[in-house]
Amino acid sequence: MGKLCLFVDRISQPSRAIVIFCLANGIAMEESEVDLLKGDHKKAEYKAINPMGLVPAIDDHGFYLFESHAILRYLSSAYPDVADHWYPADVKKRAQIDCILDWHHTNLRPGSGGLTINRVAAPLLGRPLDEKAAAESEVLLKASIKRIDTLWLNKEGSFLTGNEQPSIADLSLACELMQVEFLGEEYKSELLSPHPKVKHWLDAVEKALAPHFGDVHQKLKAGALAFRK
Amino acid sequence: MGKLRLFVDRMSQPSRAVLIFCLANGIDLEEHLVNLAKGEHRKAEFKLINPMCQVPAMDDNGFHLFESHAMLKYLVCTYPNIKDHWYPADLRKRAQIDCILDWHHSGLRRGSAGLVMNSVIAPVMGRKLDPQAAAEAEALLKASLGKIETVWLTGNGKFLTGSLQPSIADLSLACEVMQLQLLGKAKFSDLLDSNPKVKNWLAAVERTLSPHFSQVHDIIWKAATMYENKREREARKADGTISKL
Repeated sequence: MGKLCLFVDRISQPSRAIVIFCLANGIAMEESEVDLLKGDHKKAEYKAINPMGLVPAIDDHGFYLFESHAILRYLSSAYPDVADHWYPADVKKRAQIDCILDWHHTNLRPGSGGLTINRVAAPLLGRPLDEKAAAESEVLLKASIKRIDTLWLNKEGSFLTGNEQPSIADLSLACELMQVEFLGEEYKSELLSPHPKVKHWLDAVEKALAPHFGDVHQKLKAGALAFRK
Repeated sequence: MGKLRLFVDRMSQPSRAVLIFCLANGIDLEEHLVNLAKGEHRKAEFKLINPMCQVPAMDDNGFHLFESHAMLKYLVCTYPNIKDHWYPADLRKRAQIDCILDWHHSGLRRGSAGLVMNSVIAPVMGRKLDPQAAAEAEALLKASLGKIETVWLTGNGKFLTGSLQPSIADLSLACEVMQLQLLGKAKFSDLLDSNPKVKNWLAAVERTLSPHFSQVHDIIWKAATMYENKREREARKADGTISKL
């Protein structure tokens, strides 16, 4: 049997979440780079894998799937060695993870993604910068970080909803927040300074998933640094 | 054990999806109206149920949950006798439903809700209409309807991913498409006529979930008529002004 194949670009936050998940759980996989800056995601051969032309996507022995949250849920259930804390079988605990992941789509993700694209990264993708859109996204990003702080980090455990171990929601949201590296270390520190709990949480995710979390973010960090020079 | 309490406004598409799901599956519930036009979602008492101040939300004997997709998945797994087709236990089938629901957030929903908000209902919510945002949302909406037509309605079955029975993804997306009725009959037909499979699919969802689907959408038909009449009045007024000149 062949390996699970991941179609990703480590510059993309949901791509990183999938790669880190596989590495942290010892899931054997082949990483196939879809270079977004070269427009690989718009090519016909890739659209045969994901008709939406987005990363990440997977090919699990002929089963194609896209949308990172759906992929994380699927891998948690399909691969037997994945520990329960990633996507708990308990219905209520699972519902809370699903809730955070759904919330993410319309809050933190458009906040962080919209800000980085429209303030700095758009030209890399052949689009113009848009400061009005960037400013709107920034408002949403700040509100979203505050929500994470007050709603999901208000209990004992280091992770979202007070868990002792990370879930796929921790991983997805942490990879998203890391995207602001594009605006520089200083910007990121300033953004997180009113929310020490969020900063601790991000550190805890990185530590719990070491060395994979740090390794997989190398491309983003190097790219962000080169871009800012 | 007390009844499931749903906090909804039938004017909201995800609220309707959760409500129709409960009615179609015989889940006993108490419906609590959170009137969005009156700002009831921002009141302190509702914040205790959903700190994000959005509908729908629920209280299942002390367990509070929001986000309609998470609620639908929870209800499927918690209540007995829900048929498998709603959210299949088969991992790959389930993954495809999850995929559509995730896509929905950044695809169809953003397009549809953005267009309706910025071209029709913003004033009711105390905001201004925004033609530029409406145009951007309309482009996304059209692309999203096209994706449903070409990516998910390609199998033999009537429902998404070629299923023979509806899933929670069919319900969620169909309630979203129905919101487009607020744009007026002509615009609604215009959007759906270019996607005949989507049109057939919507009719199949309505038929399969009869009478609940139509009953819960009654408020949308009424609101659509009201907006249509308002547009006609404004058009006549504008005509009158022109003929006087």
